[in-house]
Amino acid sequence: MSLKAYIITRIILAIPMMLILLSLIFFILRIIPGDPVKAILGGKAPIEVIERKRHELGLDKPIPIQFVEYLGKLMKGDMGKSTLTGRPVWDELMERFPATVELTLFGFSIAVLIGVFWGAEAARKKDKTMDVSARVFAMLMYAIPIFWLGLMFQFLFGMILRWFPVGGRISAAVSLKPITGLYILDSLIQGNWTALKDVLWHLVLPGTTLGLVISSIFLRMIRNNTVLMLSQDFVKAAKARGIKEKVVLYRHALKNAFVPILTMMGLQLALLLAGAVLTETTFSWPGLGSYLIMKIRYRDFPAIQGTVVFFAFIVIVISILVDIINALVDPRVRY
Amino acid sequence: MRKFLVFLIVVLALMVLAKDFIVVGTTDKIRSLDPARCYDYFSSNILQNVMVGLVDYKIGTSILKPMLAESWDVLDGGKTYVFHLRKDAVFEDGTPIDAHVFKYSFDRAIKLNGDPAFLLSDVVEKTEVVDDYTFKVTLKYPFSAFISVLGYTVAYPVNPKVYPENEFYEDVPSASGPYKVKEWIRDVRIVLEENPKFFGEKPKTKVIIINFYESAATLRLALETGEIDVAYRHLDPRDIIDLKGREDIVVYEGASPQIRYLVINVTQKPFDDKRVRKAIAYAVDRKRIIEDVFVGLAKPLYSLIPEGMWSHKNVFPERDLEKARELLKEAGYDENHPLTIDLWYTPTHYGTTEADVAQILKESLEETGVIKVTIKYAEWSTYIDYFLEGAMGLFLLGWYPDYLDPDDYVWPFLSESGAKSLGSFYSSKFVEELMIKARGFTGESARIPFYEKVQNILAEDVPYIPLWQGVATCAAKKSVKGILLEPTQIFRYYILYEE
Repeated sequence: MSLKAYIITRIILAIPMMLILLSLIFFILRIIPGDPVKAILGGKAPIEVIERKRHELGLDKPIPIQFVEYLGKLMKGDMGKSTLTGRPVWDELMERFPATVELTLFGFSIAVLIGVFWGAEAARKKDKTMDVSARVFAMLMYAIPIFWLGLMFQFLFGMILRWFPVGGRISAAVSLKPITGLYILDSLIQGNWTALKDVLWHLVLPGTTLGLVISSIFLRMIRNNTVLMLSQDFVKAAKARGIKEKVVLYRHALKNAFVPILTMMGLQLALLLAGAVLTETTFSWPGLGSYLIMKIRYRDFPAIQGTVVFFAFIVIVISILVDIINALVDPRVRY
Repeated sequence: MRKFLVFLIVVLALMVLAKDFIVVGTTDKIRSLDPARCYDYFSSNILQNVMVGLVDYKIGTSILKPMLAESWDVLDGGKTYVFHLRKDAVFEDGTPIDAHVFKYSFDRAIKLNGDPAFLLSDVVEKTEVVDDYTFKVTLKYPFSAFISVLGYTVAYPVNPKVYPENEFYEDVPSASGPYKVKEWIRDVRIVLEENPKFFGEKPKTKVIIINFYESAATLRLALETGEIDVAYRHLDPRDIIDLKGREDIVVYEGASPQIRYLVINVTQKPFDDKRVRKAIAYAVDRKRIIEDVFVGLAKPLYSLIPEGMWSHKNVFPERDLEKARELLKEAGYDENHPLTIDLWYTPTHYGTTEADVAQILKESLEETGVIKVTIKYAEWSTYIDYFLEGAMGLFLLGWYPDYLDPDDYVWPFLSESGAKSLGSFYSSKFVEELMIKARGFTGESARIPFYEKVQNILAEDVPYIPLWQGVATCAAKKSVKGILLEPTQIFRYYILYEE
């Protein structure tokens, strides 16, 4: 199968997958106790008022009918309105998503830098200090709960040393007109250097927390795969031809070790984009993770459904992209 | 070098002088700034600073005073209210706030049927424009607490040019109060700026920036690192105690209208036995909850009407384990045949302290030696479903009033429909009649005897056990002045200033 045909099949297959996911979340949300009207008015408004509101929102209709109606709207691109805020779910997602993208890309870059370089060096100097320290670091980072690491960073770098702010995306006194919602990009477009510095400042702690924790996964995989590659015949052959060690490591061994890692990185990135819930909550980062948590608490059905569909979409897009990149990196991969 | 130093000093001085804003941090969220939809604390809080209603509370008190209404007449035995409006009030775009605007706003709130709409639609029969500056409201029945309802944001007038008639408006509000909204990035920050069109006193600080945080821990750190000047809602009690020890930070405490209580489902066994309910009321240890969980930042409560509100009366007994045992014995329980019950709480809705409260309640009931308590919990939206369906017998709940009147502390609890919506399923024709009669009288002195009777019956029938009333707290930099935690819970940003 050609790559093009493969991608088209993947996209077509994605539709039933999303539909299954959506119906699961739709029915489960309605079967478990609690609904959006009760979550807001329960324990406050008289029971008749609650019933009236449920009727208005169509929550008293049979679930399959609600589902069909929802699907009909979704087909037209209407994700519905949040029951908590009354705003279109799509608008809310688009408001939150850039924050998550910014944090994810920042954290991910840190993770890749640490993972690739330290991992490759550790493989080259197997069982030496560099390798042992990498393994200890990876194990530690893997074991530390991310919110705890975040809190410690806040305490040390935010409170004691006062180097970085403890939460949020931008200082209260700094104004920046959101254009794309990606504050780094926005401040660059507007040439607002004060804002750029401030935004980067705010990114450091949450981004590093996220990056360090994920780097542990990358580090271990890259080290192990590279160690394996370094013992292969083609590496020995390259060394025998007198090619420099660094070139052998990065151009031959690492490149070949990369195929499985790339797939894993892609999925990791997708998962992060789908909301780094704990990091976002710890650092008051207004992204999709903290959004979903808030919406679940209030049983905001349309918002939860919309977010899940959106997450599924991201995961699908990224996994297709990863397949394409894999095919480009490794010519043996054919679909 | 010297030139550079002078330059630096000038720049720094300018920076200090230029700070005509105050930064407030909170873990609350704004849900909606449409008065017809707004029904949560923090959204109301913002509206109370950017909009005004017919009446307002005198600063620092729970006494109502005229605001957009210069005066009003109560006619037809309390069924008709005629408001004489002030003529100089306008929205930020210059649109006059007249009787037409009021009719539009009231009708719109009722028609759109948002979360708080029932506060108006349950009582308002019709609204009329008598002339440009005279507005008339006819009620379905005499309701003396109506003026208090008008103090709530649902009754604030909205600009017809901005707020559409047939749908909610979810953008920046059109201001009629001391501030207008300059910038609003949801869940990130909202910036309030002086509204030059406001008829009243100007705010003491031109700009207020409110930053939103996700957790109490981050909020506290933000205050300590100086990112914010004021931390308002919700610092953990333990953090408050820590902050009290700091020299550069001042912790403010004030009255809060919030009450916390146990609900008893009077239709469920064994709670259908009044003696069992009374025994539990004798056994709960309010003082330990307040000391151990709230480190003193709460007050014990012995009635549903909180202390400090007119007609309040301490009707529930102090802790008495002997009495509790006697009552349980009468009901057929002793050490060999203990009363086994479930106690429910919800872990996040009322903050992080709830599990500790439940544990202390369990221990205090078990101290009788006759009660065995199993603690159970459910997340908020599940919790609501359970109590509405009558599945829980004994559970913790809280009340935050919609209007400051004793009526709002008894009617939602003891009327048949109210008790159903709070899961106690209590019903008493006599109590309901007393409350309806009290609604028909204007003037506190005429109403007090009714509410006293209602409270006596409450302590006799025990469908609820009041536990404590909250203390509002706020922590701020020493240099910030004007912080007032009012009994109405209105937090006025326009009286804040920095020295």
